[in-house]
Amino acid sequence: MAWTFRFLAEIALADIGFEAEGESVEEVFHGATQAVLETMATPSTVSGGWERAIERSDLDPSALLFDWLSEVVYWKDAAGVVYREAPLTLTREGDVWLLRARLIGAPVDQQTQELHADVKGVTKHLYELTQAGDRWKVRVVLDV
Amino acid sequence: MNLNTDMTVNRITDEIWEIPISEKPGMLVPARIYATKGILQTMDSGVFDQVTNVACLPGISRYALCMPDGHWGYGFPIGGVAAFSVDEGVISPGGVGYDINCGMRLIRTDLTLADVEPHLERLMTELFRKVPAGVGASGFVRLSGEEFGRVMTHGAKWCVERGYGWHRDLARMEEGGCIEGADPSVVTDHAIKRGINQLGTLGSGNHYLEVQVVSNEQIFDPVTAAALGITGNEQIVVMVHCGSRGFGHQVASDYLKRFEKAIRHYGITVKDQQLACAPFRSPEGQEYFSAMNCAANTAFANRQVITHQIREAFATVFGQYAESLGMELVYDVAHNIAKVERYPEGDLVVHRKGATRAFGPGSPELPEEFRQTGQPVICGGSMETGSYLLVGTDQAVRDTFGSTMHGAGRTMSRAQAKKTFRGAELQQQMKQRGILVKAVSMSGLAEEAGLAYKNISEVVESVDRAGITKKVAELRPIGNIKG
Repeated sequence: MAWTFRFLAEIALADIGFEAEGESVEEVFHGATQAVLETMATPSTVSGGWERAIERSDLDPSALLFDWLSEVVYWKDAAGVVYREAPLTLTREGDVWLLRARLIGAPVDQQTQELHADVKGVTKHLYELTQAGDRWKVRVVLDV
Repeated sequence: MNLNTDMTVNRITDEIWEIPISEKPGMLVPARIYATKGILQTMDSGVFDQVTNVACLPGISRYALCMPDGHWGYGFPIGGVAAFSVDEGVISPGGVGYDINCGMRLIRTDLTLADVEPHLERLMTELFRKVPAGVGASGFVRLSGEEFGRVMTHGAKWCVERGYGWHRDLARMEEGGCIEGADPSVVTDHAIKRGINQLGTLGSGNHYLEVQVVSNEQIFDPVTAAALGITGNEQIVVMVHCGSRGFGHQVASDYLKRFEKAIRHYGITVKDQQLACAPFRSPEGQEYFSAMNCAANTAFANRQVITHQIREAFATVFGQYAESLGMELVYDVAHNIAKVERYPEGDLVVHRKGATRAFGPGSPELPEEFRQTGQPVICGGSMETGSYLLVGTDQAVRDTFGSTMHGAGRTMSRAQAKKTFRGAELQQQMKQRGILVKAVSMSGLAEEAGLAYKNISEVVESVDRAGITKKVAELRPIGNIKG
């Protein structure tokens, strides 16, 4: 696995910015998802028990990633959970990008989980999915 | 002058700086920043870029404004104010923010520091127990979809009807805690499901509940302070900062997506995707305005339920009813909202994003009890330094569409603050300085370190000297709850 992400100290002072990158669009999805999970809670402190399968498709991988990250944020509030992991696969069928993912986590528990920021939304500010050589990269700003 | 921009910034007065329309293609009006020279020099590059982007939006009136607590946001800068013609202009969810009607509330008490200090640990524990905070927290109020619809349309009035507050609270809220024109039919089920269980919760980030002290020497205007119930003599007050929680966040997300299509449909070009907007009179514009009002009312209700819980906590700890402890609301004011207000140009959609309404004594919109003082303005500082109570002025109505600052404003990013500070150490240091902090997240606490913010006193001086708000009292923290 060659995906990475890093939080950005120099942009969007009141929010949380990060960059994720990898050798494929799927790897960027992995990196960005992990960044969002870790923004909300330390995944290793979250047990399982709550799970939701999600399937989304789009012609535009950038829009698909944005919608997926927004979905991750949504279920945090709608189900009152934080996440341990979010395994996913991204495939391309013709022009259509297809995401199959699972959100795995547990109800919020302040006694056992290391909790961080309550993300309000994924913004389009500076949002960009780009390819440079054999690397794909996305920059995301989360409103917290 | 060293500024974090290459743009020309002209001095209008010592507290007002103007970027002319020649500085960026597409600017329709100049941008004005309210700040002392010292604060202007610390403003990040995002402020200059974003306030001039706002100046390019269709139908903008007079100036795109930024208050002295301004900093890099998304779309609009935080601290941004812009007013658009209702007929020719736009409404932009990016000019309101994700946390619709994020706002401040101040509650006075008859208690003094001497009364509270011996019980502070118990009081903060009780408040921490009664007011859920932090990521994904849910509240004690359980609602059907139909009842949540009434929260959307009735706001804090719904709370008072349900026993979560006193009828006289309503007169001390912007719009009486209930904005007209909220239509639940334009809100998605997604938004309802996201927020229906969160009434009475604080959230995280810079949201907090703070127990504060007012000393005599911290009162700048004793007559106005007394009229607002602030008497000094080490008086205890309670401040709340939070908004519409997941419901409002989802309303914003839903409409930002819809507006991305709308800008193409209406042929509007914007400098930043997050400035997506639609003509105010368009179906999209009107539906967002109605949905935003639903979220705004839910935020008033959220702060009202929290107030109920605060009163219960004080009653439990001090063994008296909240009424006999003098726990009256001083005021509740929004700082992330768009509203239609009348100015000499006509009816304008005033967007305030991290900016507070600041109507002066002459404003007919104010209830009778604020006709002498002007509208209370509550500005939260960092958890280490203190906060301010101010009042609006008629000059603000003339100069800044009745708007002023909302808080200290950050100077350091959250990521940098987490690298620089440790939450547990900060908590210990603050305890030694007499500030008891209860926090769900230690990393979140580190992000909120006082040094990550501007000096609020200098920020307040900017708006006081500019005449758009007047200082009433400074409020010193002794206990803080953070998500």
